[in-house]
Amino acid sequence: MTEKNPDKGYVAILGWSLNAIDSIDRFDRRYVIVAPPWAEEYAKEHDIPYISWNFERIDDRSFEIAQILKDKGVDVAIPLFEETVEWAGAINSVLLGKPRLMGQAMLFRDKSLMKRRAQLGGIQVGIFAEAQDKGDVIHFLKRVNQTLLKLDGDPNDPIHLKAFDKAGCLGHWVIREPDDVERISNDEFPLLMESHLDGWEFAVEAWIKNRKIHFLNISEYVTLGYSVFVPASPELEKYRPQVTAEIEKLIEAFDIDFGFIHPEYFVTSDGKMHFGEVAFRPPGFNAFELIERAYGFNAYQATVLMFDPKTTAEELANFFPREVVDAIGHAGCFGVYPRRRVVSELIIPEETANDDYFEFHELQSPAENKVPKRSAFGTHWGLVYFFGDDPHRMRDLLKAQEDLDYYV
Amino acid sequence: MSDEHGQTSKADEPQSPREKKFIALLERLAKARPFAKLRFQAPLLEQSRRLIVEPGGIEILYRLAPRLDEAGLFYGTDWDDPAALIPGLVNATLEQGSKDLVILECLSQLRLLAVANGLATHQGVSPEQARHFLTQLLALNLNRILGPPNETQRVRLGPLGEAVGKLFHFLMGHIGYGDILGHLIEEIWRILSQRPIQVAHIKAMVSQIAVSLQRGRGDFGEARLGADRLTSALFGPTQGCLDDPGLDEYRNRLAAMDFAGLQQESYGMARAMHDVGLVSDYHAVLLRWLLDNNYEQLVPNVLGVSNTGRDALQSYQDLVHRLISEAICPETAQAIYGLTMLLERGVLYAAPIAPGLWRQINLQLSSYARAIMPPSGLEPRKQLLAGVISLLGQPLGVGQGNNPTCQSARAISMWAYNDPDYLLHLIAQASRYDSILMHFEGRALDSAALPPGLAQSLPLDTDPVSMLLVPHLDRIYIEMGRLCAGRGGDPHRWINPELHGWWVGRQFIIAVDVASGNLKEYDDFLQQFYRSYNPLFNDNQPVIHPQPAGIAVTDSGGNFVGWHAVTLIRVALDQESTMRVYFYNPNNDSGQNWGYGVLVSTQGYGERFGEASLPFDQFASRLYIFHDDPVEIDTLSAIPAETIQSVKEMAMTSWAQKRIPDTA
Repeated sequence: MTEKNPDKGYVAILGWSLNAIDSIDRFDRRYVIVAPPWAEEYAKEHDIPYISWNFERIDDRSFEIAQILKDKGVDVAIPLFEETVEWAGAINSVLLGKPRLMGQAMLFRDKSLMKRRAQLGGIQVGIFAEAQDKGDVIHFLKRVNQTLLKLDGDPNDPIHLKAFDKAGCLGHWVIREPDDVERISNDEFPLLMESHLDGWEFAVEAWIKNRKIHFLNISEYVTLGYSVFVPASPELEKYRPQVTAEIEKLIEAFDIDFGFIHPEYFVTSDGKMHFGEVAFRPPGFNAFELIERAYGFNAYQATVLMFDPKTTAEELANFFPREVVDAIGHAGCFGVYPRRRVVSELIIPEETANDDYFEFHELQSPAENKVPKRSAFGTHWGLVYFFGDDPHRMRDLLKAQEDLDYYV
Repeated sequence: MSDEHGQTSKADEPQSPREKKFIALLERLAKARPFAKLRFQAPLLEQSRRLIVEPGGIEILYRLAPRLDEAGLFYGTDWDDPAALIPGLVNATLEQGSKDLVILECLSQLRLLAVANGLATHQGVSPEQARHFLTQLLALNLNRILGPPNETQRVRLGPLGEAVGKLFHFLMGHIGYGDILGHLIEEIWRILSQRPIQVAHIKAMVSQIAVSLQRGRGDFGEARLGADRLTSALFGPTQGCLDDPGLDEYRNRLAAMDFAGLQQESYGMARAMHDVGLVSDYHAVLLRWLLDNNYEQLVPNVLGVSNTGRDALQSYQDLVHRLISEAICPETAQAIYGLTMLLERGVLYAAPIAPGLWRQINLQLSSYARAIMPPSGLEPRKQLLAGVISLLGQPLGVGQGNNPTCQSARAISMWAYNDPDYLLHLIAQASRYDSILMHFEGRALDSAALPPGLAQSLPLDTDPVSMLLVPHLDRIYIEMGRLCAGRGGDPHRWINPELHGWWVGRQFIIAVDVASGNLKEYDDFLQQFYRSYNPLFNDNQPVIHPQPAGIAVTDSGGNFVGWHAVTLIRVALDQESTMRVYFYNPNNDSGQNWGYGVLVSTQGYGERFGEASLPFDQFASRLYIFHDDPVEIDTLSAIPAETIQSVKEMAMTSWAQKRIPDTA
């Protein structure tokens, strides 16, 4: 364990992630992991500071965990997963004596409330509505396409459906035809419906302290749900001033004093930014790791630095490298989905394995031969990591992976 | 650790993009906390696999091996404590381990090489220890260095298999021949002392030694004499071929010799063969030449037979001469040793053997049987005949090869030893009709109609008779097991007598409860084993027929490895008055370390060729199944309680450690 500095804050990490624990254990802040009981044995075995907690439902016991942490002298709680964001809000409202943090967390957890708040803050959002049942979806699809002056028989512009409270691509459907609605079971409702924008989608990782952005990364999606790389290509990075302005709007709209946010945007061909959604936790697709690979700083440690009330101005000034110029290369990753219905073996395509940019993969050999049918975007089977100097070559390489079979 | 060194070489060497990536990954592993290392170990192993097959890859990995070690590549694996590694286990890892384990093994060797060469240190391993480990490793794997590339490995591992071969050459280049040759020669002598039928890989190794000797490579030291005896036995066993002149030239020289000269040649050939257990190609040339040139009277000399063998030869002269002219040629020279031992055993005096061999000589092989004989340019019928001669002469020289078929190999050996005419019958059936017929409790089992057994493919690296018979026997064995399903208890109770023959004891005594795997009535088991087989407690009754027995094989750490079939052959006092069990082990090399001081001996304690032996108590401590016939014993001399107790403890500290029932 790295020597811990008693003058610095004591943080509680909500959720279990070995990568996060590994990073934070190497940092100088005292920490405790708050995670479900299944992690207890492992934590004990490896001397990981640990408190067992079930995050299933927020109720009057949430005050109990806040009290436990307060008694231990914990200064602040940091959420790792979507499901622990409102817990962190609740706990921090007690630990820091700021009741509004709870309300803020609820905004992050409900995509519909989130959009309304963003809209109130003067941020450009698409057309959206809440769907209670399949009828609402069909109605919305028709209205959107009417607005676009489509005639009967013209191909529809799609709409997007998302669960209110799920991370990333989980529970995300694209609907083009009324029939597509049948893929969604009734118990998935209510859902958020959004119009589709033919734009360039990207994500932002922003570390915020004292209402100020200390580091802003733009993650370029090559294909949503498949691939991402950092730092973004110069073509996307040229929007950095606009992006920064958008994040500052978010800080105001959501009243963010400190923390880490991960919003998604579209930029349309006219250069306008359209807000998609924002999360108050580390992004999926191991973006933290990509950032570390490209910039050398540990993104989990950076997040701790943002949350810790005892972080000094000097630390803030020294921790981060300069954006874009200090990156030693571009780091990207690709999420693999089996392309065939029946697979028996994991074989890294030779052209991938022999590519200079290929680093490593975290794919598992298939446990079952039959590939489950994907209803929503679903979860990939593992990530493949790449690193190299040229963002365009990176983009093309990631794109090319979509046509390769990793599982045969 | 050699961080400093690593840093220097890092700066010195130009780095390819792949190497840079590799180092980035290595650094992440080094940074990770122990509990998070697993995540970077697997990618590093995969990258190592890709790197090692590239030109210069081994050198790069050698340079990085100490850093990999320090970064924690071996953390959480058996390789984390190199002092506890055993050179003898490496081969199993390379042959059976996953690709990840194979590359891990390779990297472990490279880091030990760095320790041996003083480029790195590792707590608990001195440079001398590291060098000693690698020396033993190379000696044990000389076939990888000297022999042709290992085909099975290549098929199984692809390019990585070839890289493993290159790695061994790399290690050899750094460790040097000097240390290795001594080990190698010792090893060859140890194997040869068991008189195996299959000697191709030994011949290959001896050839390599001969090359080294000739080029003056390597410091042979005390092993020089042993090396000379091996190479001369193969390449120049007599005055007439001392300079390895080639077979044609040797024939010319024979034609020019007088009788005394030919007699000298004959004695010399026989001496070399009996001394070493290897037969030179020149030996085959001489034998054939003598027969073709009416020197029949020298045949006993060239075989080096005693009065028994000489008498058998004279009694069955036509048959033996015909066997020689049909089956013996330079390609099958080793069968001369088998023929000699066949004569010495006196099996020809059993009435059915001679006519059985006449049938074998004229046997028309089925097209399938012809196809499965190893490609050699020889007529398959002759190959099989030579194999039959070897087997009848050396029943204990047959091994299971690289196949999971110890039961079948044991049965073949047992018949060759005890029921050779039955074996000839089976061979004739299988080679002519592609089928053998056996009975299980009155039910006929036709091997041709049964699905494959344990062996999924044709047998590998084994003798012609095994190539032919094992697939049939294996099917029948498995079918018998199937017919016993649901009976409860170990199926060998019923299989063993039916598969092997009437002489297998009708009592079946087992030390474990099959359902739970725990020991059951173990004291009684041991008591009965002593009463059945130990002459001190059974009215001095020697073993009459070879008996199948089951062994719990343990590794050199005494840990349970698996159940294994052996044959009990004899029980007798050795020269130190220790009661020993002499047994046959179908494994290709019987000299094994079973842990806690249980070292299976193959020579030096009264073993006949091919026998393995252990002191009676030690053997008992690894036994879990044996057969016996109920017999009346007149004098019930008591077996000392402490003997039983100590055997029991030996079992319970090794294979039976986790098999002790709660209420023992």
